[in-house]
Amino acid sequence: MTHLLSLLVVIPIAGLIPLFIFRRDAGAAKQVAITTTAVELAVSLWMLTQFKVGEPGFQLVERVDWLPSLGISYLVGVDGISVLLVPMTTLLTFISVLYSSGGAIKTRITEYMTAFLLLEVGMVGVFVALDLFLFYVFFELMLVPMYLIIGIWGGPRRIYATLKFVLFTLAGSLLMLVGIVAVYIASADISGSRTLSLPDLLELRGRFSADFQFWVFLAFALAFAIKLPMVPFHTWLPDAHVEAPTAGSIVLAGVLLKAGGYGFLRFGLPLFPFGVQAWLPLLILLSVVAILYGAIVSAVQKDLKKLVAYSSVAHMGFVTLGIFVLNLQGGVGAVLQMLNHGFVTGALFLLVGIQYEKTHRRMIADLGGIANIWPLFTTFFGVFVLASLGLPGLNGFVGEFLVLLGSFKFSGVPLGGLFWGPAAAIGVILAAVYLLWMFQRVMYGPAREAYRALPDMSRLEIACALPLLVLTVLLGVLPQPFIAYIEPSLDRVIRLATDPSFTVLAFR
Amino acid sequence: MSDVTAVYPEIIVTAVAMIVLVVDAVLDRRRAPTALPIITIAGLVVALASVFNVVPAGQYFRGFVTIDAFATFFRAVFIILAIFAAAVSPAYLARRMVPAGEYYAIICFSTVGAMTIALSADLITLFIGLETMTIPIYVLAGIQRSDRFANEAALKYFLLGAFSSALLLYGFAWLYGVAHATDFVTIAGVLTSQGIANGTTIVALALITVGLGFKAAIVPFHQWTPDAYDGAPTPATAFMSVGPKAAAFAAILRVMVGALGPLSVDWSAMLAVLAALTMTGGNIVALAQTNTKRMLAYSSIAHTGYILAAVAAAKAGPSAGAAVLFYVFAYGLMNLGAFACLLYMDLEGTRGATLDELNGFARRQPLGALAFAVFLVSLTGIPPTIGFVAKFVVIQPVLDAGMAWLAVVIALNAVLAAFYYLRVVVHMYMYEPEGKVPRLIPGRGLSISLGLASLAVVVLGILPNSIYEWAREAALPLVR
Repeated sequence: MTHLLSLLVVIPIAGLIPLFIFRRDAGAAKQVAITTTAVELAVSLWMLTQFKVGEPGFQLVERVDWLPSLGISYLVGVDGISVLLVPMTTLLTFISVLYSSGGAIKTRITEYMTAFLLLEVGMVGVFVALDLFLFYVFFELMLVPMYLIIGIWGGPRRIYATLKFVLFTLAGSLLMLVGIVAVYIASADISGSRTLSLPDLLELRGRFSADFQFWVFLAFALAFAIKLPMVPFHTWLPDAHVEAPTAGSIVLAGVLLKAGGYGFLRFGLPLFPFGVQAWLPLLILLSVVAILYGAIVSAVQKDLKKLVAYSSVAHMGFVTLGIFVLNLQGGVGAVLQMLNHGFVTGALFLLVGIQYEKTHRRMIADLGGIANIWPLFTTFFGVFVLASLGLPGLNGFVGEFLVLLGSFKFSGVPLGGLFWGPAAAIGVILAAVYLLWMFQRVMYGPAREAYRALPDMSRLEIACALPLLVLTVLLGVLPQPFIAYIEPSLDRVIRLATDPSFTVLAFR
Repeated sequence: MSDVTAVYPEIIVTAVAMIVLVVDAVLDRRRAPTALPIITIAGLVVALASVFNVVPAGQYFRGFVTIDAFATFFRAVFIILAIFAAAVSPAYLARRMVPAGEYYAIICFSTVGAMTIALSADLITLFIGLETMTIPIYVLAGIQRSDRFANEAALKYFLLGAFSSALLLYGFAWLYGVAHATDFVTIAGVLTSQGIANGTTIVALALITVGLGFKAAIVPFHQWTPDAYDGAPTPATAFMSVGPKAAAFAAILRVMVGALGPLSVDWSAMLAVLAALTMTGGNIVALAQTNTKRMLAYSSIAHTGYILAAVAAAKAGPSAGAAVLFYVFAYGLMNLGAFACLLYMDLEGTRGATLDELNGFARRQPLGALAFAVFLVSLTGIPPTIGFVAKFVVIQPVLDAGMAWLAVVIALNAVLAAFYYLRVVVHMYMYEPEGKVPRLIPGRGLSISLGLASLAVVVLGILPNSIYEWAREAALPLVR
């Protein structure tokens, strides 16, 4: 079966047809969306089994001429970096749809499910596209559904939040479009034929002069830095997260942010080694600032959801730090951290949403004593909080540890790894402070009378959270199988990024 | 005989206009509103088919007319836009008592003019085409005679239009003085032999740029646009914003690239600056609008800037011409569609809907709102729509010509534009229909044409290859 990846792109689109037929029936719409995302999840897991671990190149590649007159093709494939992100995406989408069908969304169900299926096309597409044009199409395809999800089903300040989200993201990605076209033009050979296919570009990246890379990497980096988001482009994130409906937050934090980190690894690093070198000091600085700033700002948040949102900024700081220390430990740590953040922060947003649905309060000061009334909820919440702060035995530890290890070994920028590594490590301590303090204020103390009668997690809610819990523990206890997926491909990316003369022919 | 065969499409469109006028005169008052658009559309479809009934490429009418892939492309685009405009109009015209016979006939006459521009090989043919196209549009702008704004629109448009025609003609006269000929090939030859531009050619170039700048609504020659667009009946605005604009670019390409190509060193930097001014000016003023019709008017100025950027990048070769043609086609489809979506609103006068009047439109007219949203997303330039591909193919020659700054200006402008386009979506989808929202006109024909057009915007956004191929082929005759 060589069409697995195209199948993954097509399934959600196919789901739109029954959704349109049953557009007047909210119940049927839910069923269709759940079935579609479940099938998508199953196919993505099957794809995982078809992937040959240990090979660095792209696998399951499909290529169809798309715009032959411009030399642009529909080219998809996965390697060790993207192969794990795809099932993560499908799982989080499935959980989001499942949770939303439980009653969290009350109006315009069909439109909501349509938006989610379209969003899934974009998210899966971003991780499998190997042609820059195709990548851009999917990258932008994520934008409109999320804009609608926040803007229609969001909280009171949803319109401000959603416009801010779209305009920030669009500003970055349109500059990236200019960068993409610049790459396209620079790819011309003597005969004048041009390409945007990543494997071809990797072969001929020697044509990109250092000066060219300086500017084009900047254009790409801006798009990814806004998406990720890196400080100082993060200001859209707390607004978008706070106003988004729960499922929107799960997918936004779990998947959309990853598109930025993934973009650096897939395109930024391998294509522009000189560009990376030129901007490296700034990128490292911003990463460490994000880790510390995110942690400090999280500590003072009064709103539970906003706290989780700001903690994302810090976690994404670890991702970029791991990417830009340009060694294997850091890179593997960054990819693991992306997966971890998807599962853990996705789960935290889910739990905060569940909690809000019951109490209609999100201010930490209004909560308290929840441990007394909801033991099950507290257990789940506790595990994810501990994973988020990096407790050994849970997944957060593995990623952050590898990133820190990589950054201690790193010497490419002023002050060296022995300054930036410890600086980032302070962030881990701060994370423990704000997360445990939050946990204490929310869970312990006297329970409020008003909440006593409220039920603990329902079966549906448990079903949503349980897979994430299992993965959190599994990744923490047994990271090696996951690392085995990532390592060979990442090794190649690092070599491409650190050695401008390194070329891989027949990159497949 | 072959001379006449070459202009069959123009003859057919003229005939359609005449037939419409006669039928309008003899037909029962009650049957006319349904019969006239059907006759118009059927006739235009025949004309469209005749466009592809190819005569050999070459010069006709002793070198006054040239038939090439470029002419074919633009003729087809003009007819498609006229069909689209005729299809969305009936309900609105009936509601506002606009004389339907005149309306459809005017659209056909104007289309003939536009087609004449496309096939011109001579300054004289081009000028006749330009006037044949514009004079009906003056009438169209003022066709709602009792409305004050329509009168203002028509008068403003007429005065400035006449003024710009005079400038253009004066420029042509200077050019004739230099080359002692009016056909493009000879002019280009003389200019090439002269080498660098001298005082006389600079004057000609400046006058022609200003004249064509008025027609295409390039900043700072755009002042007539918002008022004319705003005061004209909305379906007329929809047509005015695309047909004549496309024709203006056909003229710009024929004159600037065809005849004045040897001077491209002189005009390309100037056009690049004008393009940047045009897109930025249009977008910034559009940001401040609360009336969607006026906002779309300014946004169409901004799009002029994007197209002009591709013209300015002419030295990038055929990809620049292809970009202009592709963008013109994409713009025609999405901008006409966006204006036509306002036709659902039953408002007094020629006014378009304000943002608040669009509140909850998605609940009241789900498919109309969806089409509107698709057009707006496409105008913003977000995939998978044709508007995105158009942006891509425009940025490409601009960078190829070494104008990276202009590419960045285009990108930043698209972000500005996103703000006001998406604000419309916000009002349609994210607010409830409360307060004073206008009644909606039930228009089956309108919904069908908008549905088809929005489908085309998406499908051609995903599979743009055939159109791009066609545009590139059509741009080839311009490059010598």
